[in-house]
Amino acid sequence: MSEIQDTTWKELLKIFQDGLEKAIEELQKRDVENIPGAKEALIQRLNNMKLHFPKNNGEIFLKSINDKIQNAFFPNSTNFSEAFEKILKSRTHEQDFIINELLNGFITSKAKAIASGSQGPIIDRIVEAFSKRNDFHIVDHQFFAMFGDPNKPRHYVKKQLEELVNMFGLVSKELVIEKDVRRSEEKIYTFYTFPDEIIKILEEKYLIIDEKLGYAYVSENFDRNVFICMFLANIAINRDNIEKIGGSYTINGISAIFALILLLSFMPKLRADETNPVLNDPNFDEKNMSIIPKSWMMKQVLEPLFEPLIKIIAYRIGGGLWLSKIIDSEINKKIHTQIRFLLKDVNKWILGNLCRVEIPIFIEISNIFTEILVGYDEQ
Amino acid sequence: MSYKKKSTRTVKSGRKREKWTDILPRYLTFISHMRPILRETRRIIINLDADLLLDTEVLDKIRQEEEKRNIRKVRALSEFSAMYRSNVYDIIKDFIIKYRENIPIIDIKDYILDFLHESVDALNVLRHITNPDELNLENTYLYQLVKFIESKLFPRGANLKIIYNKLIQESIDFYECQRHILQPHTFYREKLENPDYFEIPGISPKIYQIINNITSLYNLDPNFGEFPERENCELPIILKNDIFLPYVDSIANPEEESIEKIAERIGLRLLDEIFLAPEEDFVELLLENNFLRENKQSDGILRYYPQFSNETMILYYLAFASQRRGFLSKELVNWISMNFAFLIYMSILKWKLSDENIFYAIFKDLQTNEKVLPYLMKLICFPNYLGLDKMKIRDSVQYRKEIFNFIGSQIDNLKDLINETANYCKNIDENNKKN
Repeated sequence: MSEIQDTTWKELLKIFQDGLEKAIEELQKRDVENIPGAKEALIQRLNNMKLHFPKNNGEIFLKSINDKIQNAFFPNSTNFSEAFEKILKSRTHEQDFIINELLNGFITSKAKAIASGSQGPIIDRIVEAFSKRNDFHIVDHQFFAMFGDPNKPRHYVKKQLEELVNMFGLVSKELVIEKDVRRSEEKIYTFYTFPDEIIKILEEKYLIIDEKLGYAYVSENFDRNVFICMFLANIAINRDNIEKIGGSYTINGISAIFALILLLSFMPKLRADETNPVLNDPNFDEKNMSIIPKSWMMKQVLEPLFEPLIKIIAYRIGGGLWLSKIIDSEINKKIHTQIRFLLKDVNKWILGNLCRVEIPIFIEISNIFTEILVGYDEQ
Repeated sequence: MSYKKKSTRTVKSGRKREKWTDILPRYLTFISHMRPILRETRRIIINLDADLLLDTEVLDKIRQEEEKRNIRKVRALSEFSAMYRSNVYDIIKDFIIKYRENIPIIDIKDYILDFLHESVDALNVLRHITNPDELNLENTYLYQLVKFIESKLFPRGANLKIIYNKLIQESIDFYECQRHILQPHTFYREKLENPDYFEIPGISPKIYQIINNITSLYNLDPNFGEFPERENCELPIILKNDIFLPYVDSIANPEEESIEKIAERIGLRLLDEIFLAPEEDFVELLLENNFLRENKQSDGILRYYPQFSNETMILYYLAFASQRRGFLSKELVNWISMNFAFLIYMSILKWKLSDENIFYAIFKDLQTNEKVLPYLMKLICFPNYLGLDKMKIRDSVQYRKEIFNFIGSQIDNLKDLINETANYCKNIDENNKKN
């Protein structure tokens, strides 16, 4: 890292430390907790973060962002299939929600989402078209027949299909029929499929190849998220081409979601009293869930943390280019207060308490922090 | 001068044949063509020497012969029969080719016969799911299955409280299904409010987000205001503006303008045009389910603290829609009835077919689905069943494609409900046998 970059990184770590201090101050002023000891646990955690995060050039951030978050959702690679494979491997039921949220980017706030509303259903249609054939191809005419509206011009469907084909990097082959049976005219069929290296990756779980019958058909696991993983891989490898990945909206959206993942991972686990109604609620699974301190969700506490954290993420993922695209406006501050409501299907409200579901990414990042804490105590 | 009696009602063209006795035969049409093909194939395979199955050309010849016997005059039916028969034979052929080196051909033959037997059985149930004159209605599969699923996802009740409490009880196992039937995939066709008449639309992704935001704001930063109907009581209130604060670029303007209507559907109301607060009736429901906590303050005022869960307001929406089921939007009627039809159809298949049945794919094929499910959807809408406005079921081919596409995007929780309904089918069958 060059000297100038180092200075930026150090500055960002410093801003985050200031943010932590401010958050602790705000926390001490208010008490909104209904679980005894929650506020103290949170203050202690924030103090620990203040103490340990800047150490070793921000080692905790480097490990959490570079190794965990990027590997799971946004691989740092220039190889499309390698990036795709990594994202695909990180899929679990709950992490699928994160992947979906990343597709939508900042759909809550910005009209210019990565994939607009009308493209969502088309992805489902592509999945359906692939699952209807036993050669793992889709044919344009079949697609139009399945999804085109006979009363509307075909070019709408055609355009949408073409856009998605480009977005997902599907490969096409043309089949020219000299004389069509119906009209005796030349007819060109275009077949679309995945590139060979992607097919190899899919073979493990999503694609069943029956060599005896010469069939290749999709398994039940093949769904829209396979495409969303491809889409994310495409953005990840093109991260330096701002125009190609959708501009500053994408950068702000992705950085914000990753910032939220980081913060959620660092939350302390609270122990509620046995009589607490949340523990007896059938929707609460003690083995797999933990209650998030209420005061962490306060605007006054989150605001000073989010802004520097989003910048840290942007810098680690896309360097100075991404950092320069983080919008520092009043509007964005309003948006930041709403980030806490994202990942709504990963965190659940149960009787007034937000509960974190212990998904792999939260556990892995939280373990990094714990390891460093334990290491420090031993020293 | 004409003596012909004029009707007092004007009926739109194409909407005349909507009686039970009109729709049931249409539902049965394709099913009654599928069954003989499978039975005939079964008979042919029984009579065929197992060794002949090794030569797939024999099967091709049989199929060609069978196709010659097709005397249907209706083009759609003959096309469907041809497609169906060719699928059946192709699947049998593939099965033989795949396993002929590993499994003795006599066993392969037995497997095929078993699979065909199961499929005929499933079609038999689908064929006798109800009867033309709705005789012994309560004993029919259709009635019992609709009522079973209805009790879990869309219960009836004398008032909203009863419905809400029934939903809460079932939400432990089936909340995701309950939420799913409120979220039509054709949400982009919905109108948030209709100035001319009362109508309840489905929940779009943006409305879902807004409901989530409202839940979060109540749990995090509630203010408290006077309870208009009760003295010395305070209600939790939130600012309308806080909900829409993050939506820049006017992307939630339509939702903001219709907030009053949206609020009504989730048990809230607008106070002083700027605050959102729970309705009086909803307060009772919230207290009963521990979603509000009472706190007597030192000044003697009783304050209600919100402690909402994810399902608190979504289930109110569902209860509200269930109670006013006659006023659901076209999209919601189509979506709910499609989900019910799909659940019933899949449950019967799950009950009758073994998981490894090679013909499962034909039953799940879009081409088969679109022949069976639309009429099943209409039957389900009749007053004795779900009691939805069946005139709102769309008949256009394009629309069917649009909604059936999403059958593929089913959620895990729906699979759980299919399993439970399949078990219930067994119970019905056992009870019927006892009687």
